[in-house]
Amino acid sequence: MANKTNNYNYPDKNGRFGSFGGRYVSETLISALEELESLYKKIKNDKKFQEELTNDLQTFVGRPSPLYFAKRWTDKLNGAKVFLKREDLNHTGAHKINNTVGQVLLAKKMGKKRIIAETGAGQHGVATAAVCARHGIECIIFMGSEDIERQAQNVYRMKLMGAEVCPVSSGTSTLKDAMNEAMRDWVSYIDDTHYIIGSVAGPHPYPMIVRDFNSIVGTELKKQSKILFGKYPDKIVACVGGGSNAMGIFYPFIKDKEVDLIGVEAAGSGLSSGKHAAPLSDGSPGVLHGMKTYLMQNSDGQILGTHSVSAGLDYPGVGPEHSFLKDMGRVHYEAATDKEALKAFHDLSRVEGIMPALETSHALAWVSKNAKKLKKSDIVVVNLSGRGDKDMQSVAKADGINF
Amino acid sequence: MGRIKDSFERARNQESKTLITYYVAGDNNLNFSKKVFLKLLSHADIIEIGVPFSDPMAEGSVIQRSHERALSSDITFSKILSLVKELRIHNQDKPIVLMGYMNNFLSQGENLFKKIKKAGVDGLIIVDLPYEESEFFYNKLKDIDLDLIRLISPTTPKKTIEKIVKFSSGFLYYVSFRGVTGAKLSNFKEVQDKVKYIKSKTKIPVVVGFGIKEGEIAQKMSKISDGVVVGSRLIDIIQQKNFRLNDSLNFLEKSLKTFKRDVRKK
Repeated sequence: MANKTNNYNYPDKNGRFGSFGGRYVSETLISALEELESLYKKIKNDKKFQEELTNDLQTFVGRPSPLYFAKRWTDKLNGAKVFLKREDLNHTGAHKINNTVGQVLLAKKMGKKRIIAETGAGQHGVATAAVCARHGIECIIFMGSEDIERQAQNVYRMKLMGAEVCPVSSGTSTLKDAMNEAMRDWVSYIDDTHYIIGSVAGPHPYPMIVRDFNSIVGTELKKQSKILFGKYPDKIVACVGGGSNAMGIFYPFIKDKEVDLIGVEAAGSGLSSGKHAAPLSDGSPGVLHGMKTYLMQNSDGQILGTHSVSAGLDYPGVGPEHSFLKDMGRVHYEAATDKEALKAFHDLSRVEGIMPALETSHALAWVSKNAKKLKKSDIVVVNLSGRGDKDMQSVAKADGINF
Repeated sequence: MGRIKDSFERARNQESKTLITYYVAGDNNLNFSKKVFLKLLSHADIIEIGVPFSDPMAEGSVIQRSHERALSSDITFSKILSLVKELRIHNQDKPIVLMGYMNNFLSQGENLFKKIKKAGVDGLIIVDLPYEESEFFYNKLKDIDLDLIRLISPTTPKKTIEKIVKFSSGFLYYVSFRGVTGAKLSNFKEVQDKVKYIKSKTKIPVVVGFGIKEGEIAQKMSKISDGVVVGSRLIDIIQQKNFRLNDSLNFLEKSLKTFKRDVRKK
């Protein structure tokens, strides 16, 4: 592992992270993926593009996001010191916007007139609708009909910003089916449409592009922790669904082996119940949505339905780079149940006055469980990937409250 | 390379183009689909058996629903291979091609291709097989005399076409438009030019699929290529008869006879 970590330079030229990743899509999409890849490589280090991006991140998103010391929660946990990287304070309420502000600029450079995206909890849909409104580009969001019901407020937010929300009722009517439908739309309108995938998933070059745009989180954390602690954190914890917030905060630290990286999946009703969304903890490698990665599937290669209290983690796959980092041993992956996540949600709300997203609450649950086992001098940073306002309905329901 | 090559030759001798049909194994149940395939085997030149997948990314709504119905009838990969074996008892001449998605093939492990061959399959179409893995698959299939049928689309650049034809056998499947199965054809001229270009680069037969809904389109397409693939339209026909076996088969037979006439040279 040591050697691999020192020379970490992925994906390779075929879009692979070891055996994971790749480009498993129908032939019609290949040329669009190649166009996107070559444009991205060309302008990635272009000064003007970087300036434009930085300006948008500062003035539209509100970056840099603060690194906050959760003092009362630390006292309560009576273990390691816990800091929160406040992505919940971003415009539209989550890390998702880091990616969409970047990709909309790519779309404009390619001269695309129409943008499509998939969304589960609605956060990526809202973040996409926002950048499209700002740039005056037509925006279509694909969303599972079940999620539309669960996340009615986010649907309305998207519509307010001018997006068209297309319900998807095939398969399980959730995120994975919304992604299938977005791909189908993309094949049909490939010449003038850009597809903004919302996670570090899908065919190459998406896992790379989404990671790079989100890695601003880890890059800022490096600077902030040097100033605040004089060193890097001992542990960084993030929740993993598709895995974009986790890749964003982990990626700049991969070569810094002294930093432990912990990804937390959704264990739903428990790993042994089978009702969960934890492919890294309890899945096997396969191909879905254009990538080879760990999946929840049966022995015939059919993708299984997932369960999590958080719509954003309710996905049977995971970004291919996470699969690679798991097998390599660089990132440690665990899982937290619905119950543990809900408890962490309540704890942080009561003790710190910060309501985290239910997705993020899975990472917090890991800290609740493990802080005591760590040294008091240890510094743990949690990527507070999103705010919980969107989850009021789900939390109230779990608590047996009707509005 | 036996049956596939023979079938194109047979069509040529009959002054006709090749009629290829697609239907999903297990729709609306295993036995029903077996009856459909037997009907297809007696009228079409090549039959494609769709391997149902939970996430059929390239399919339009008609074939998506078909996959869903098949999966809810508890179809499995091994049942599909048994089905092929049974079909082979009735028909030894016509080519049978499996068409599906990477994950279902991957899940079957090492001996998959040998098992497929042994069941009586002649070729494979893997919708989401990436170019850089096609050489590996091509060689592996070649060793046991299975054809690897590749798709080419309107967005495939000329240079890539030259690469794709190198690692293809049996026939090449030209996707007639930018879209999913069952949608509508928009640009005939583009198809004509692209097929002409592909044919200038290879001796492998080139067939046109996606959007072949009516006899008129089938006629036009078969004039400029070596054959046509009909899929969504056939499922439509069966759906119209609510999967009542005899009605479906009668309606299907009528439609196949018409398509067969449409692909014949005038």
